[in-house]
Amino acid sequence: MRIRRLGIGVIAMGVAILSAPVVHAQDTAQPKILRVGVTGTYATMNPFTAYHLGDTEVGRVMYAFLTSYSQQDYSPAPGLADKWQVSSDKLTWTYHIRSGMKWSDGQPITAKDVAWTFNKIMTDKTAATANGNFVTDFDTVTAPDDSDVVIKTKAPQATMLALDIPIVPEHVWSKVTDVGKYDNLQYPVVGSGPFTLTNFTQGQSITLKANPDYYGDKPAYDQLEFRHYDNEDAAVQGLKNGDVDVVSGLTPTQYAALQNTPNITVNKARGGRQNDLLVNYQAQTNTNQPVGDANPVLKDPKVRLAIAQSIDVKTLVDKAYGGLAEPGSGMVPAVFGTWHWSPDASQEQKFDLTAAAKTLDDAGYQKGADGVRLDKSGKPITLRLVIDSGVPNENASAQFIKGWLGQVGIGVTVQALSSDAVTDAGSKGQYDLQLNGWTGNPDPDALLSIQICANRPDADGNGNTENFMCDPQIDALYKQQLSETDQAKRVKDVKDLQARLYSLDSSIVIAYPNVLEAYRSDRWASFGLQPAQGGSITHQNGYYGYLLAKPVDSAAAGGGNTGLIVGIVVVVVIVLGGGAFLLSRRRRASADERE
Amino acid sequence: MTTPATAPELAEPGTAARAGGARYVLGKVGGAVVSLFVVVVLGFFLFRVLPGDPIRLMSRNTSVGTKQVAELRHQFGLDKPLPAQFADYVVALAHGDLGVSLKFSRPVSDLILQALWPTLLLVGVATLISILLGLWQGTRAGWRRGTGFDRFSTGTALALWSAPTFWLGMIFLVVLGSWFPTQGIVDPDTPAGFLPQFLDVLHHLTLPCLTLVAVLYAQYLLVMRSSVVEEMDADYLTTARAKGLRDDVVRSRHAVPNALLPTVTLIFINLGFVVGGAVSVEAVYSWPGLGLLLYQSIADHDGPLLQGLLLVLAGAVLVMNLIGDLLLRVIDPRVRAA
Amino acid sequence: MTSAIVWRRRRAAAGRLWDQFRSQRGGLFGLVILAVIVLLALLAPVITDPSGLDVTHATGGALKPPGDGFLLGTDETGRSVLLLLLWGSRVSLLVGFAATLLCVGIGTIVGIVMAHFGGWVQAVLMRVTDFFLVLPSLVLAAVLSTVLTPGIGSIIIAIAATAWPTTARLVRSQTLAVESRPYIERSWALGAGHWHVIGKHVLPAVLPLVFANTTLTVGQSIITESTLAFLGLGDPNSASWGEMLHNALQVGAVTARAWWYLLPPGLAIGVVVLAFMMCGRALEAVLNPRLRER
Repeated sequence: MRIRRLGIGVIAMGVAILSAPVVHAQDTAQPKILRVGVTGTYATMNPFTAYHLGDTEVGRVMYAFLTSYSQQDYSPAPGLADKWQVSSDKLTWTYHIRSGMKWSDGQPITAKDVAWTFNKIMTDKTAATANGNFVTDFDTVTAPDDSDVVIKTKAPQATMLALDIPIVPEHVWSKVTDVGKYDNLQYPVVGSGPFTLTNFTQGQSITLKANPDYYGDKPAYDQLEFRHYDNEDAAVQGLKNGDVDVVSGLTPTQYAALQNTPNITVNKARGGRQNDLLVNYQAQTNTNQPVGDANPVLKDPKVRLAIAQSIDVKTLVDKAYGGLAEPGSGMVPAVFGTWHWSPDASQEQKFDLTAAAKTLDDAGYQKGADGVRLDKSGKPITLRLVIDSGVPNENASAQFIKGWLGQVGIGVTVQALSSDAVTDAGSKGQYDLQLNGWTGNPDPDALLSIQICANRPDADGNGNTENFMCDPQIDALYKQQLSETDQAKRVKDVKDLQARLYSLDSSIVIAYPNVLEAYRSDRWASFGLQPAQGGSITHQNGYYGYLLAKPVDSAAAGGGNTGLIVGIVVVVVIVLGGGAFLLSRRRRASADERE
Repeated sequence: MTTPATAPELAEPGTAARAGGARYVLGKVGGAVVSLFVVVVLGFFLFRVLPGDPIRLMSRNTSVGTKQVAELRHQFGLDKPLPAQFADYVVALAHGDLGVSLKFSRPVSDLILQALWPTLLLVGVATLISILLGLWQGTRAGWRRGTGFDRFSTGTALALWSAPTFWLGMIFLVVLGSWFPTQGIVDPDTPAGFLPQFLDVLHHLTLPCLTLVAVLYAQYLLVMRSSVVEEMDADYLTTARAKGLRDDVVRSRHAVPNALLPTVTLIFINLGFVVGGAVSVEAVYSWPGLGLLLYQSIADHDGPLLQGLLLVLAGAVLVMNLIGDLLLRVIDPRVRAA
Repeated sequence: MTSAIVWRRRRAAAGRLWDQFRSQRGGLFGLVILAVIVLLALLAPVITDPSGLDVTHATGGALKPPGDGFLLGTDETGRSVLLLLLWGSRVSLLVGFAATLLCVGIGTIVGIVMAHFGGWVQAVLMRVTDFFLVLPSLVLAAVLSTVLTPGIGSIIIAIAATAWPTTARLVRSQTLAVESRPYIERSWALGAGHWHVIGKHVLPAVLPLVFANTTLTVGQSIITESTLAFLGLGDPNSASWGEMLHNALQVGAVTARAWWYLLPPGLAIGVVVLAFMMCGRALEAVLNPRLRER
């Protein structure tokens, strides 16, 4: 008995001693931290090789770009360059770098750093991994003095104010011998953005501190953290617990469930992404060799029209996207209002199952015994619909498409593949229908470039477009808009291109999903949305969401207290329980010995 | 996954009888080495037949041009013929080089080493608790076979074992998620110093560990239970009882040590497998261990990483089996003498 | 004449077995549950209208709790969860049984060949078995289900490919035990061939225990299938219980606390696995008298 009491006393004393420093640590002034729960891939902090969406987002807060996109409406805005001009032949661009800027290690930021970064990408193939596409048409990049950068291009290029390339410090990177092997984790990582990277733990968290040397607005808090979740529901639970302050990438169901949660505010933003249904009817490589095994029946424009008429984008938005998306029409998402196109009454291919059936009837596709139509050789028409098993709403969308096409007499088999297998099947043309999606930029060039002959994959499937679009009219319009620097004329070209694409029924745009986010409104008052009206906090073409986040004044910034206390309680219970158990056993054992 | 009722295979008495101690050990080690080599060879070719092109995957959703893609492919040596790739691989492997992960652009060995200790922690603690819980309940259940305690503990263990691990994890997340962190191994804001870090890790460990224990402990319970049942009527126990020893003592001093034997092998066989089995737990709770790495490398078709992980996991199973075999020989005189 | 005697003897043995099995209450209980579930699965097309599985015909609201004519509520597209559960049982059970059959087939053949022929055949096969045994089964299943053409068949093959080594080793050790008995030697001496010994003596002696052991494999296969679905490697055309859970988790049913969507498939898997487990244990107890209550 005495032994037991002594044991408990020792344990209790131990707990008291051990927990003292923890409690003490809570008393000291805590830095204000914005914690963001993320689910995407964060693979590398090296801006030359960072191509994952998450990596580039961190790159944006670490490094300033030559120019940026305005918070208001994505229009070109100053970055490192405060002004710029273009020669009359549209081939020479001169950027003026603002003076007095410093890297986070105190060294001045000059035009030389910009020129060095571009030249590195142009000369080092590994350095071109992430952003090589921006410089393919560059002729020379020079810095005649510390405040001017001159870029000469081989052809006029409309994206010269949309060069999404993090500018790195020459005095750090010129010492790097192999860019591919450099992890860029020498803390604090020298940068020029609003935040400086101070820790990156693969698969767990990324910590950045506010950069006092940043040239623009300073954040109203001290530290920005990204915490990695592999499970979106766990991330939402983390938000409810207060482990994180912001969660992005919510599903419609989660969004709806969080709407009435106290202390949590949801944010619904118009998204810059388009999701479409690819119809594979002309799969050829960039050298015009046929590839893939698409059902030849799709070559008939009538069949494609019937498919387009069988897809009710409004129902898909309501059911598969929980109403949290904009119904699709043109290739460019509606949020990029200037460039977005939607069909007028004469162009529109309305959802109408009767009309679709009639289209097929008229084209001579008769129904077979089981209600499935037969192609011209008498075989039942069954199409494979390839989807990515990792994307939440693709299966639901696929089930609807399968249902509707089944009703007009076209059989559909859904194939859910991992994202790499989807890409593989896509670029080798091994599909009939495929659910796909692209994230657009404020400048439509990237989205449109997917649709030109030259960007089709080669025979090995190298290249990254999956819809094999090749149409002389589209190619001509694409070239025209790329070199058109008159905004109004370029808008017309871009819209004409989308109209032509729509009429071919090669990519049937289903929806522009909303970006769904939620944040702790008991800790954070507001964020800098982009676009300012109805925009998003995360995944911007900028960093305003994090830069302009305003904490609630008297917020208790800490979130770990309860956690630690529960942790202590757990330890105490385990230790006490285990101790008591062992002691009782010993006591009994010794009693046995005495017998 | 090991089924709980599968009794561990004992070392073959036939071979053991013929071979001396050293030869027995050498034979076992040699077998394990051969198996590991088979894993290296088959593993290499297994991943070469996977569909999906890692390079294209890398460049997905970015506007990398065709020429750049071919360049990247050359850089990773993916344009060489298969035998040449295999030779490269074996040579590098001999130097301890597992290649570079396509997804993370970092050496595979670094990634694996980094993920190793979270997994060892999770699996180690969970296995320890499972063994203690399983042996304790199994002993009692076997000793009082057919009683309410037996039915209840065996029934609970079986029911938990029958549920899919990831589902159980999600249920725990719903029920207990408000009191425990649902991500990672330690909060980056936790103050440095041993105690706060230790407590925070413990706090993070609770849910994944609980899930794993719930699924694992039934195996130990069942083996221990049936092993105790078999020992119960052994003559030496009758003798012990006849000496007038209390039932408790007969159990803990005589029956249990003997009943433990088959359990030991099971423990080692399972230790190897548990790492692979922790995949869904680690994915549910974003626990940064080997299982999560595996999950990510499958999803992203990261060939070098998958191959490295396969080698490490298979190696773990082989080593554990070997230890189990050898240990059994040391502690069970019957196997030695046979 | 002799075969009639053999048959009578076997029937009598089976009768005894059944009597003993019946005395195992847990096993009997498990068997009854299984019978009910299999019956429901078989009758699903008769007692329900499959058109409710088509999302375009779904009548319910999204993720509605039980009530309003939906006994178990609705999923995210407004389909009845009960209907999905009933039809899901068909796929899950099919996967479980088919994978087990395949696994037992491969395992038994490899196991008997190993034990019976010994020598280098055994050495080679043992290494192959070991290779499959030490591979993390989930990895192998995941890799295989990506390599093979997607579909339920590939999933079955992938599961069987990872489960057979255990059976093979069990069969091997059992065969070794049987073949060391005197009556086999007598049989050899009487000039029996390989086929005779294997077919007439080894198989009948080994199979019952294999059968008891593989009841567990059915359950394990169903769990593995659901885990593959969780990892996104399932077949969306075959709405198994695992696929249901995968969908529920993907749309965020956990956050929505949609228990009517999350619990039924998981519980269903648990109940089926448990029922198989109970049957298997009872069978094992019957066949392995040492474990039986004395």
